[in-house]
Amino acid sequence: MKSIHTRMAGARLSVATLSLSAISLTAITGILEAAQAQNRPQAVNVYSGRHYNTDKDLYAEFTRRTGIQVNLLEGKDDELIQRLKSEGANGRADLLVLVDAARLYRAQEANLFRPIRSRELNRDVPASLRDPGDRWFALTRRARPVMVNTALVNPNLIRTYADLARPELRGKLCLRNRASVYSQSLVADELVRRGAPATRKWVEGVVANRKGSFYTSDTTMVRAVGQGQCGATIANQYYLARMLRGDNAADRDAAKKVRVVWPNPTHVNVTAGGVTRAARNPEGARRLLEFLASPTSGEGYAGANNEYPLKGWGNNPALSAFGTFKASPVSMELLGRRNREAVQLMTQAGWQ
Amino acid sequence: MAVLAVSLLALLPLVSLVQVALFSDGAGVAALGADGLSQVRGTLLLVVGEGLLGAVVGTAIGWLTATCSFTGRRWLRIAQLVPMAFPAYLLAASLIDWGSQRGLQIHGLAWAVGLLSLANYSYVFLLSTESFSVSGRRLLEASRSLGVGPWASFFRIALPIALPSIGAGVALSAMEVVNELGAVRLLGVPSLSAGILDRWQVDGDPQGAALLALVALTIVAVLIVGERLLRRRSRRWNLEGANGVEPLWPLAGWRAALAQLTCALPPLLTVAIPVLWIQQGWQGLQAEPLAELGRLAGRSLALALAATAVTAAGALLLAICRRWLNAPAVRQLSFVAGLGYAIPGSVLALGLLVFGGPLGLSPVLLLLWGYGDRFLAVAKQGLDAALERIPPSIDETASSLGCTWVEVLRRVHLPLLRGPLLVGCLLVFVDVVKELPITLALRPFDFDTLAVRVFQYASDERVGAAMGPALLIMLFGLAASLALIPSLERRG
Repeated sequence: MKSIHTRMAGARLSVATLSLSAISLTAITGILEAAQAQNRPQAVNVYSGRHYNTDKDLYAEFTRRTGIQVNLLEGKDDELIQRLKSEGANGRADLLVLVDAARLYRAQEANLFRPIRSRELNRDVPASLRDPGDRWFALTRRARPVMVNTALVNPNLIRTYADLARPELRGKLCLRNRASVYSQSLVADELVRRGAPATRKWVEGVVANRKGSFYTSDTTMVRAVGQGQCGATIANQYYLARMLRGDNAADRDAAKKVRVVWPNPTHVNVTAGGVTRAARNPEGARRLLEFLASPTSGEGYAGANNEYPLKGWGNNPALSAFGTFKASPVSMELLGRRNREAVQLMTQAGWQ
Repeated sequence: MAVLAVSLLALLPLVSLVQVALFSDGAGVAALGADGLSQVRGTLLLVVGEGLLGAVVGTAIGWLTATCSFTGRRWLRIAQLVPMAFPAYLLAASLIDWGSQRGLQIHGLAWAVGLLSLANYSYVFLLSTESFSVSGRRLLEASRSLGVGPWASFFRIALPIALPSIGAGVALSAMEVVNELGAVRLLGVPSLSAGILDRWQVDGDPQGAALLALVALTIVAVLIVGERLLRRRSRRWNLEGANGVEPLWPLAGWRAALAQLTCALPPLLTVAIPVLWIQQGWQGLQAEPLAELGRLAGRSLALALAATAVTAAGALLLAICRRWLNAPAVRQLSFVAGLGYAIPGSVLALGLLVFGGPLGLSPVLLLLWGYGDRFLAVAKQGLDAALERIPPSIDETASSLGCTWVEVLRRVHLPLLRGPLLVGCLLVFVDVVKELPITLALRPFDFDTLAVRVFQYASDERVGAAMGPALLIMLFGLAASLALIPSLERRG
């Protein structure tokens, strides 16, 4: 018994010491961090909704060229928006990078961005891919084409998204859930181009054509098409490219059976960034934004996730194999503006 | 005073939150709506399903490993801690990914109940096994000598005595379920936690979010009150030490095999999910640079240790004060202080940001505050249950012998509370290492932890990249459970 007691006492002691050292460690880190932030007025603080290790190489390249340090905090887009909102004037971010027009619009409505004038940004970012009020600018593009298993669905049936509601596709369509911002922006795109009545009919038709439950990830849908459980789906192009270029043999085989069909026009969305209203280093943030949007680094930013650069098609072999498409003329700003309406319509039409 | 201080610290973020909900210019208090109702229904079904399954599995294993003897019992006992070490969102992500490679769509309520039970039954196991091995030994022996069989003595003696602990375990695991976000989202089950977040962050409707949070709080309050009632009904003071040799029921033949299977299945299943994934897609594994992995692990470890110390101290203070000052106000305060566990981590984090942001508090401090608030109940629940087993006559005896309350605490309570305190610390440690929403929302720049990285990769649908840091989280969990072995072994 006694030995157990001493052992327990020893264990308690070591736990206590460990905890104490941990507390001091965290305290020191906190203090150091605060001190660092103060000593480096030059640093640019970035809140980013992207999580790619290669992004850090680009930031390091920026630091090498300009001497401006980049501090990074990656998170989920909506959470970052909320964080910045609640931080108010004490906001710690200079640059906010978000994925998807709907989120950009939300941040814009919350008055988180400040307008910036930049000849470089106006030159490098096409007008439909930036805010008309100059508050945010796209950095990469992604497309959401139809993907088809040709053994089950004749690709020639599908020329527009509207064709996905055709009765021939009954029970063959795999769909992403309503909670996904990708689905929402796609429906918003249709809303802008075709109006509410036509879009409602289309959503009802598409929902009627679906097979099984709504999916919570694009990868699983693309696999289901490759394996022949679904005839067709709508998914972002980079998921298929990732499977084709990845190391998993089974995934590569499944992906090879998937044919990309480009609806005319194809829904396009962006990753974009803007200088925050609370920025303490707006100048540095603008320079970082210009750097990321420039054609050379833009290619790297897009390449990390098999996305398209702002102009042209890039040099990613997997993407080249998919062919080219005609992008929807709907501006990112409008996609965001109609998001709420799109979600309501989806809810009413049974898109879960 | 101390109770007031700790409770106040626990309550401040909530108060600031309620303030926001009431005074912001949102869309007004919206009715729950069809979405809200399906979210309430989803969470209720999850809580009931997980509660039942987790209670049965946790109690069965707790009983078997505490009172029966069969080959491998000790190891199986320790193995029950493995499932806690795995974050539920990772289990869900890897299971869904594995299934989809085999053409299986893993989706919906049944899978969610199964996965969450697997991830959370250990709460019931830990608290019930503690009770089975400590309490009512003599009664059990007496009943056996009177010819009562194992089943009857389980149902008529051990179960009623262990009910408070089982109740506490079920309440804890149910609160985890109310709070669960990542896994249920991936499995497509509508839930309150997701509803609260979406209303707050996506719809910009803090009042609607507060309304849903209120529903979540109500569910948890009902859980806690129910557990209290159970405990009151079966309150029995019991102080049989680990003296003497406890006779265990020897199991042999098919009985032993069945016991082994029952105890081995849940941990095996938990380990099997990531192992199956790795076995199928190991080519897809992407290693994080080692230095980066080390930094992530260091931060996770430091945060978890610090948070454990803070939380355990707070919980001990509350539990002891509650016993000494038997005033209703103190009891209620300490009850309310534990409610932080019921509030979705992301909402709690927002409260802290709203409150701490303008004060310019260091993010690390806010982070520790958040952990302490969130996990106070985890540490406190077991302590309260254990304190109730100590007869008040002991305190009175000590006092009458001239001990001050500090001495009573040091010489009487602390030694008796060692087991539950250690269990509480372990639970908090593992919870903090896995914790996601608070860390995600409050961490400073360039301060990712293992859990944050796992979640980011998993939400980008890159399970291969998530595996490395996830395995480290599991290792931490296992290391923490090794610390528990002495307290389990003491009676084994």
